[in-house]
Amino acid sequence: MEDFVIEFMFFLEVLFSGLLTGTLYSLVALGFVLIFKASGVFNFAQGAMMLFAALSLVGFQEMLGVHWTVAFLLTVVVMILLAWCVEKFVLGKLVNQEPIILFMATIGITFFLDGFGQTLWGSDIKPLDIGLPTGSLDFGGIFVDQLELVAGATAGGLVLGLAIFFNKTKIGRALRAVADDHQAAMSVGISLRNIWIIVWSVAGLVGLVAGIMWGSKLGVQFSLSLLALKALPVLMLGGFTSIPGAIIGGLIIGAGEKLAEIYLGPFVGGAIENWFAYMLAMVFLLFRPQGLFGEKIIERV
Amino acid sequence: MGVHEIKPGDVLLAVEDISLSFGAVRAISDVSFDIRKGEVRAIIGPNGAGKTSMLNCINGFYHPQQGTITYKGQKRSAMKPYEAAAQGIARTFQNVALFKGMSTLDNIMTGRNLKMKSNLLTSMIWWGKAEKEELEHRRFVEDIIDFLEIEAIRKTPVGRLPYGLQKRVELGRALAAEPELLLLDEPMAGMNLEEKEDMCRFILDVNDEFGTTICLIEHDMGVVMDISDRVMVLDYGGKIGDGVPEEVRTNQNVIDAYLGGGH
Repeated sequence: MEDFVIEFMFFLEVLFSGLLTGTLYSLVALGFVLIFKASGVFNFAQGAMMLFAALSLVGFQEMLGVHWTVAFLLTVVVMILLAWCVEKFVLGKLVNQEPIILFMATIGITFFLDGFGQTLWGSDIKPLDIGLPTGSLDFGGIFVDQLELVAGATAGGLVLGLAIFFNKTKIGRALRAVADDHQAAMSVGISLRNIWIIVWSVAGLVGLVAGIMWGSKLGVQFSLSLLALKALPVLMLGGFTSIPGAIIGGLIIGAGEKLAEIYLGPFVGGAIENWFAYMLAMVFLLFRPQGLFGEKIIERV
Repeated sequence: MGVHEIKPGDVLLAVEDISLSFGAVRAISDVSFDIRKGEVRAIIGPNGAGKTSMLNCINGFYHPQQGTITYKGQKRSAMKPYEAAAQGIARTFQNVALFKGMSTLDNIMTGRNLKMKSNLLTSMIWWGKAEKEELEHRRFVEDIIDFLEIEAIRKTPVGRLPYGLQKRVELGRALAAEPELLLLDEPMAGMNLEEKEDMCRFILDVNDEFGTTICLIEHDMGVVMDISDRVMVLDYGGKIGDGVPEEVRTNQNVIDAYLGGGH
């Protein structure tokens, strides 16, 4: 009996840790969903934007010696500026082009941001410290990482805000309209320009938040940019167009890979964590290509 | 704002000597015509005659290389589509351009976009007001839904609807903007007889009840001659006829163009 209780507590601890790591994936996935929902573009640059935001934040802190809140605000301005530039110099020139062309353009943005960020701020690994709590809390025998708790709460708050924004406001509807049909959106008086600037700014903000969380955990380094790849299976599970889907997908992937590592790992020699997410996504694609919450793909023939 | 009141029968929109080319291809050459307030104006012509290009010039999708467009007494050069929309020009498209993933209701609501005042900031600060506004517009949209007799598909994603109904929803979205000038690009293409009759009725009702000026492109000659006040005929980008339906019907150039005799 005693053994069973300890086993169970251990299981819960792994589960919670997995779920909370999952919310960190969700934060990254959220940025993808936003841009995809609003412009039908898969933004390959989301990871690079996250890195760029985190680098800028740390850079401002170091260079100006200001409090992190000031650095945060400055970074927000930088991300809005970036959104403006993306519209002005890239997307604005590609109105009504095929999605694949826009996708290629975002790959270009990725390389630019990776290079530009490192040129500006250097390529060393930098610690990011904005005073987020570290260490674990003890919930009656279950240890939970505090940073992950904060990340979870932040992700929850962001999702709630964004869900209201998308479903209940005029701008939200305009965003969805633009995603569906550029020409029609313009004909009802929606300015593509403004919508794109808004949505890339919001995605930049989400990237900044994700960058802070991941940066606090791993330090700000180039590999943050690659975390974007972990967001892909999350998106396949949750659906590319669903904000709640990004969260649920993140939770499933996070918990799934931790549990698989602990309980299945020993049978196949470990390191399941590295590929489990992709495997799960692939199985999912076979049965539900639009993801759990994605908009159904409707095609009349 | 400086623009004098335009009475029914006055010129609402005047197109003067417009030419539009794409590289070496001439889509429209030196066409002039006008649309009077309150009328149903048709543009007809064989395929590739430049009809849709003309609508695209009027609502700002294309910018003609030559010529001017005077709308409500104001001469304008290049205008962006959303500016045209803001000045009361709404339109539908030849190949139905709806927001396929959104419901009928949401699609028509997007037409209210310009009428809604609250923006991101104000709706964050004062949620209640934004919500109230949303409700008012919702009521207006429900009226349009009743008018077009599409109550049953209010919540259906429009991608699932048959073509005829999609065209109707698209008309609803254009009407939601309470336009002064409504541009319809082949509103009856691909419809069966019954659907065509319904659509005709809606167009005439819109024209009668709201006094909306309508400019439409249509291939069905019976329909065009029936519902239009005046008809312009384009062929190979040039104007070959213009007048009341009776004149156009007996115009030799027009007959040649349609029967292929002239070429």
